[in-house]
Amino acid sequence: MKLGKWSGFAALTLATGVLLSGCAGAAQSPAASDTLNIATLSIPQSLDPTAATGSNVPFFQAVYDTLIRRQANGDFTPMLATKWEYNADNTQLTLTLRDDVKFHDGTPFNAEAVKANMDRFRTSTGGDSKGLKNISEITVVDPTHVTITLSAPDPSLLFRLSDSAGLMANPAAFANPDALKTTPDGTGPYQLDKSKTVIGTKWVYDRDPKYWGDKLPYQTLTLSVFDNENAIVNGLKTGQIDTALLQSADQRAAAKQDAQLKIQDSNVDVQSIILFDRAGAMVPALGDARVRQALNYAIDRDTMLKQIRQGLGTTTSQMFGTDTLGYDKSLDNYYTHDPKKAKELLAEAGYANGFDLTLPRMAAIVDDALAASLKADFAAVGVKLTWQDVDQATALKQIFTDKGFPGLVLSLGQPANDWLMISSQLLPGSFNIFGYTDPEATELVNKIQHESVADSKADAQALNKHIVEQGWFVPFYRQTYALVTDGSVNVTQQSGMAVPSIYNYTPAK
Amino acid sequence: MISFLIRRLLASIVLLFVISAITFLLLSAPHTDVGRVLLGQAAEQSLVDAKNAELGLNQPVLVQYLTWLGNALRGDLGSSWFTSENVLSAIGNRIPVTLSLMVGVTLITAVVSFALGIWAGVRRGAADRFVQIIGVVGYALPGFLVTLIMVLVFAVQLRWFPAIGYVDFFTSPAGWLSTVTLPILALSVGSIAGVSQQVRASVIEVMRKDYVRTLRSRGLSPRRIIFRHVLRNASAPALTVLGMQFVGMLGGAVIVEQIFGLPGIGSMTVSYTTRGDIPIIMGLVMFTVIGVVVINLLVDVVVSWLNPKARLA
Repeated sequence: MKLGKWSGFAALTLATGVLLSGCAGAAQSPAASDTLNIATLSIPQSLDPTAATGSNVPFFQAVYDTLIRRQANGDFTPMLATKWEYNADNTQLTLTLRDDVKFHDGTPFNAEAVKANMDRFRTSTGGDSKGLKNISEITVVDPTHVTITLSAPDPSLLFRLSDSAGLMANPAAFANPDALKTTPDGTGPYQLDKSKTVIGTKWVYDRDPKYWGDKLPYQTLTLSVFDNENAIVNGLKTGQIDTALLQSADQRAAAKQDAQLKIQDSNVDVQSIILFDRAGAMVPALGDARVRQALNYAIDRDTMLKQIRQGLGTTTSQMFGTDTLGYDKSLDNYYTHDPKKAKELLAEAGYANGFDLTLPRMAAIVDDALAASLKADFAAVGVKLTWQDVDQATALKQIFTDKGFPGLVLSLGQPANDWLMISSQLLPGSFNIFGYTDPEATELVNKIQHESVADSKADAQALNKHIVEQGWFVPFYRQTYALVTDGSVNVTQQSGMAVPSIYNYTPAK
Repeated sequence: MISFLIRRLLASIVLLFVISAITFLLLSAPHTDVGRVLLGQAAEQSLVDAKNAELGLNQPVLVQYLTWLGNALRGDLGSSWFTSENVLSAIGNRIPVTLSLMVGVTLITAVVSFALGIWAGVRRGAADRFVQIIGVVGYALPGFLVTLIMVLVFAVQLRWFPAIGYVDFFTSPAGWLSTVTLPILALSVGSIAGVSQQVRASVIEVMRKDYVRTLRSRGLSPRRIIFRHVLRNASAPALTVLGMQFVGMLGGAVIVEQIFGLPGIGSMTVSYTTRGDIPIIMGLVMFTVIGVVVINLLVDVVVSWLNPKARLA
């Protein structure tokens, strides 16, 4: 073999590479541009507002405005509604609407449109539709006023109107709901560029020059969906992605190696064991609060956090998020690692020899290290934990539909709104699938529901303390995720949301 | 030849029907609660039941399958349960990505493998050992590792190529080339390792045949013997391997597409199968079966053209 021949081939390869990088602009270095590229792992079921939920909301914000705007710090400010007011017992909310907004086809936005949207949303099969279940009637007062009547107060209603339930589509589009799924029709700051959008992969939005409100700083907004964070980190490093939220500690470390990438800590999810069977129907031992407390004392949160999440997080014993009124910092350390006390509590409850506990294991959530750690900690106090592997396809049915397990290890989002947290995690249904409650919790929940949000802090904290003391959950830690930018974008985190709203991005100077 | 093609066509129709029925049955067997997957863990049961009814999942599996089949025969494969995109356009949008990779890898593999195989088979000695080492190394290196190294070196470090994404050929040919080059090279390593060994073995075998010795004794130039006679006979087994690799490339494409964030059929298959999106999966299976049938047919036709002994009847 003569080197000469091969060196020619190598030179050709090199030349091709350099040529391509030059002519295609393969990987530009990050610089402020008029396009914002956001990468995400979540995918919207469609662009019909009834399908909007949680972290998918940014896909919708681009094309639909909400009735109320939720600022990054969680404050509510006017958007399509300029004013809102409750009656004395919080069962009627009257909204005053803008009178100068039109949908893209010229149809005026008015009270009739609000009624049509909200009635459609609450009767749909969308994931958030039950959030409006307390609404009994929506009444059009006049074109700029609408009254929402509730069967019972809902302290999360304003939040919901700033979220999925507040997204306003053109009622004219409701005649062809299938089209609305891929051709959104709202009053938002952008319009979907269907020629550049590949649904399921990349959504491209172009700024609407006729938008009624303040223009957002980017001419084009691109939301790309990836199924792994490795590709996202590579995209951030090469400037093809401007910003993304990374959940994996390993990928955060990979991003940290690149000095150009800016990382902000984001604490949204809390990982815990949700003890569904608090009445002891399936595992009698779990019906005793002392046993649930023992499980909380048995686990070594500090070591778990260090070993499993590389220290990226904050150990905690409570489920209320740091942005809620019910949050009490002192409860973060309510349960310490105390196997001796755990054994005493188990003995007092009549389980001196421990008991058997079988939990489902979804590999994506409970990795080997977490599974082994919990098993060892529980074994040290006599509780025999058995993991039953469940595959991703059938897990939700086995756990939530068939109610086949007494508990579940899960990372749960921590809503910024107290009632949102209470209704999804504490009230019967949702994550309280066995429907357990107790008199004290019921009384506190009732008080919080009927008083104004501003007055509910003491009761929310009392409720938080009660469920911690009663061991409804076995929380481990709030997980620190990494909100990463490539240096060309400034981003402000959104209270209670993992993925910031589209309004929170500005070009870096 | 015509009767062969007609028989193949009829067999393919039966194959499509049988595979569609088996796939639908298998997909329905795990009792995935699609409504709950769609609406999230916290969704109330009544809402989950309503969503399942909306998708027709409250019907017996046979009724669901016959509904799907009836629509499919009319050319309507439905819409994705998870993204609402039309199945045909969803697959149509992603085919160019995967096809770019498959065609590119096949071309590069064919050219490089035949060059290496002939070189090794004819020259033997050091050249042969070199090609065998390439084969062993190419086989031994895990595809995902080769891909990751290529991304890190050529995209992230040197910035010669984009690390992620795909540019459509008709939007920008140069952009297209820059986005598919690294994935194609990454996928080609394993393919070249396999096909070059096959070409080498076939060339060595044919070179030992009596008729080659006869041709040599008649004074034909080595170039003419190799390209007119040896290659023609040695190509059939190599083409068969190449055809099989083309079909099997979908598996490799899964990893490469995920690492490069390419919106192709491979990554689509994984993500939609995990979610249990039956309309999309059924569409993908039908597309794959048709692809396999067509490729096998093409290989048979080309092999029979190259080698009269393998004429189709």
